[in-house]
Amino acid sequence: MAALSSNRQRIDWPGIVFAMLLSTAIILPLVVVGTWAFTEIWRYPAVVPQQFGLRFWNQTLSRSDVWGALTLSLQLSTVVTLLSALICLPAAYAFARLNFPGRNILFFSFLAGHAFPKFGLLIAIAAIFLQLNLIGTFWGVVLIQLVGTLMFMIWIPVAAFQGVDRRMEEAARDAGAGPLRVFWSITLPQAGPTIVAALLLSFVGTFYETEGAWLIGAPGIRTMPVLMISFINNQMVIQYGAVLSVLLWVPSFIALMFARRVIGGSAFARGFGA
Amino acid sequence: MARLEITGVSKQFDTTTAVADFTLEVDNGELVCLLGPSGSGKSTLLRMVGGFERPTAGSIRIDGEEIIHLPPEKRPTGMVFQSHALWTHMNVFKNIAFGLRLHHAPRDEIRRRVEAVLELVGLTGYASRLTHQLSGGQQQRVALARSLVLEPKILLLDEPFASLDQHLRERLREDVRDIQQRLGITTLFVTHGQDEALAMADRIVVMRDGRVEQVGPPSEVYRAPATPFVAGFIGQMNLLEGIIDTQVFACPGLAARIPIADGPATLAVRPEALGLSPAQGQGMGIIHRAVDYGSHVMIDVELPDGHRVKSMMPESDAWTAGRPVDFNVGTILAYRDNVLIYRGAQVEEQSRPAGRRAVRSNA
Amino acid sequence: MTDLTQAAASRLLIDTNHNRRPWGLLLVAVPVFLVGWLVIWPTISAIARTVWRLDADGNYGFNLSSYVFFFSDQYSLNNLGITLWTTGMCALLLLVICLPIALYLRFSSGRLPAYVQGLAIFPLFVPSIILAYAFIRVLGPNGMVDILLNSVGLPKIRTPYLTPWGPVIGLVWDNIPLTVLILLAGLGNVANQSIEAARDVGANRLQVFWHIILPRISNSVLVALSFSILGIFSAFTLPYLLGPASPEMMGPFMQRTFREVNDPLNAITQAVIAFGFCIVFGLFYVRSVARNQGG
Repeated sequence: MAALSSNRQRIDWPGIVFAMLLSTAIILPLVVVGTWAFTEIWRYPAVVPQQFGLRFWNQTLSRSDVWGALTLSLQLSTVVTLLSALICLPAAYAFARLNFPGRNILFFSFLAGHAFPKFGLLIAIAAIFLQLNLIGTFWGVVLIQLVGTLMFMIWIPVAAFQGVDRRMEEAARDAGAGPLRVFWSITLPQAGPTIVAALLLSFVGTFYETEGAWLIGAPGIRTMPVLMISFINNQMVIQYGAVLSVLLWVPSFIALMFARRVIGGSAFARGFGA
Repeated sequence: MARLEITGVSKQFDTTTAVADFTLEVDNGELVCLLGPSGSGKSTLLRMVGGFERPTAGSIRIDGEEIIHLPPEKRPTGMVFQSHALWTHMNVFKNIAFGLRLHHAPRDEIRRRVEAVLELVGLTGYASRLTHQLSGGQQQRVALARSLVLEPKILLLDEPFASLDQHLRERLREDVRDIQQRLGITTLFVTHGQDEALAMADRIVVMRDGRVEQVGPPSEVYRAPATPFVAGFIGQMNLLEGIIDTQVFACPGLAARIPIADGPATLAVRPEALGLSPAQGQGMGIIHRAVDYGSHVMIDVELPDGHRVKSMMPESDAWTAGRPVDFNVGTILAYRDNVLIYRGAQVEEQSRPAGRRAVRSNA
Repeated sequence: MTDLTQAAASRLLIDTNHNRRPWGLLLVAVPVFLVGWLVIWPTISAIARTVWRLDADGNYGFNLSSYVFFFSDQYSLNNLGITLWTTGMCALLLLVICLPIALYLRFSSGRLPAYVQGLAIFPLFVPSIILAYAFIRVLGPNGMVDILLNSVGLPKIRTPYLTPWGPVIGLVWDNIPLTVLILLAGLGNVANQSIEAARDVGANRLQVFWHIILPRISNSVLVALSFSILGIFSAFTLPYLLGPASPEMMGPFMQRTFREVNDPLNAITQAVIAFGFCIVFGLFYVRSVARNQGG
């Protein structure tokens, strides 16, 4: 009896240790950033800011470079996501449901982008763009980001299309629907949530991509993360960076939470080769 | 109300032949079971009738009309899949109404027909449920309703009960049989369960390696299996290799009178046709094991050469392991070169020491 | 979910012939072309341009002088050294931190493990640029850690900001989620029953880990490490913002050579050298992903 109850009540020490360490390491930095965003005066060594307020939100949001970068980043992400959907979704369907010569080798060729250290590859691409005069142009950055989204936008939808039970489609054919109608009424709704998640991932991924945008885009193209780099490096007012962080992070967090919920942890890991 | 004619249909996958030169006619309102082990080509055949596989050769006609070049959506067939294949993003009503909507049926008519078919399958009031809120049996009923609502000429059932447990399976197959008979719908049914085939079919087609082994009503397939394979596949059967010499079949431990030409033969005896009696003397065989099933006892008897045969007997104290027994053989079948050559009953008790009594042929 | 994707992946390899139509090729043409143009071609071209180029006389020929320069230049070698050190240190730390977390998550259930998993995956949702900013505010001079230490009367820390430890901390933080997820997926392949069977024949926890779990997940460990190493070796943002100006990691070094020194040839040479150091991990990573997806 005693053994039984002690078993049930056993304290999960490792869990508590992990939870405390991770809370400190993961949550604390973000809380600090959040606090800075709503702080007007915080002089060392006070533990709590001397004065809270929204003054710097006002100031940050009235800067023209912030608005410029934000519009540019939104444009860029939208263009890249739409283009990527346009070229990748039909390809994903082909990989999932059609048979053609060289299908497997072509499917796995999308892994090539992940076989190299990323920034090294970016340098190699930049060298080619240099000859094509694509450095510092919008479309140069679009191309670079497109390469980054390719694997996601092919592999996740392929899994989604394959996850649709073929017999569901056959049952619809049996009920009198033609191939296009089956795709529209059965395949797409079944694969839909996963595809939306892939689109979200590519949007958010493009929005926050820093290295390609910095290498290919500078100086003409200043996306949000590139602006953040210059704020971190050169800006004396700490709060600008904090406000931008909070502003940018919250929507992406919601989007990514949704994406992960749909795709599921193990499938997510599998996409990275677990 | 339709007649299905399958003539000389073959299906070749790369190097393997799934179905070879298959011919079958299914009459109006008839329920025909395709029965066979997995890989026997029965599902492939059904899918060819449904239009999901293209035959390599042959012809499939419904009411005399060739359908082999039609895609599934143009064929007057309705298929129920093993995994039910309900569309999980639609509720029950939408699942059933999907086909009607494609045919642009008026809204009122759709509602009326969906409700009618739900009543037919015993799911009145389930229209607004989501598919995952249903039990396995209910899901299969919805799948059936989804096919029936379009009033197909031919109903195709692809192992529809395979994913259900035994109890549910038996109930559902009775319901399906009732509905089928009430509607008088021509039905082709694929299964690998012989009890399902025996219970439901008007006729059974036993398939093996893409070929037909036997076609016939259940009673005939059970009582007079055309080949040793059918004999072994349907129900339990003791198969014994032996030699016929001067009209007497003999193998170690057993002899039977079979009035046909001399030569090797395979003897087939159902457990219920193989009676036992406690032996006087050393006996023809020794009881190896007896399992009491309540209604009867299934007894494994070991013959002198080590082969075991099964016998089905009423419960009794006499059946304990290690006891010697004699056989009283009832109806027997004999095969030579894969063909049934004899079927008949041994009239009286046979025993090896006294193998001289008269035997009457009954073939 | 796992079964589903696996089944889907294996279905990719076996299919019937009846829909072998070439217009499948047409549908995949554009993305395949992009991979060819923007991944395969730049790689080949980078190698070709650094070994086959104009010499002093204006003739094309085999020429390794840019590599000779890199490996004889002390500054370049220092940068390579700091990169190797950072990558190795990150890999080690990731393993030490993530393996216990993954083991804990695999063998417990309830609210606390769910919370721990949520936290471990959380950095996935924090862009590295925001991470860099948070790092400076917490561990930088007069950052939050200093504030807290000061409030309890302890001396300030020696800040890792702008030291080689800066990128290490940032990169480990950034790579925890995927490492944990990949390890966890690997641990999912270890059946409870095989562990219970080992316990049953008398193995203690350590023996179970060593003889049963580790052999099963060694591939996942290597995949996780390969993935992190590929990302860390040429990382740019975090080393650029958090690391020292000299020596600098390969990422910022390449970027500076390309943009500020305006010397594409040497930048590409550095990139090819980075490829060379990572080729083993890259090939291993690709091979295991392909094998995994192929069923």
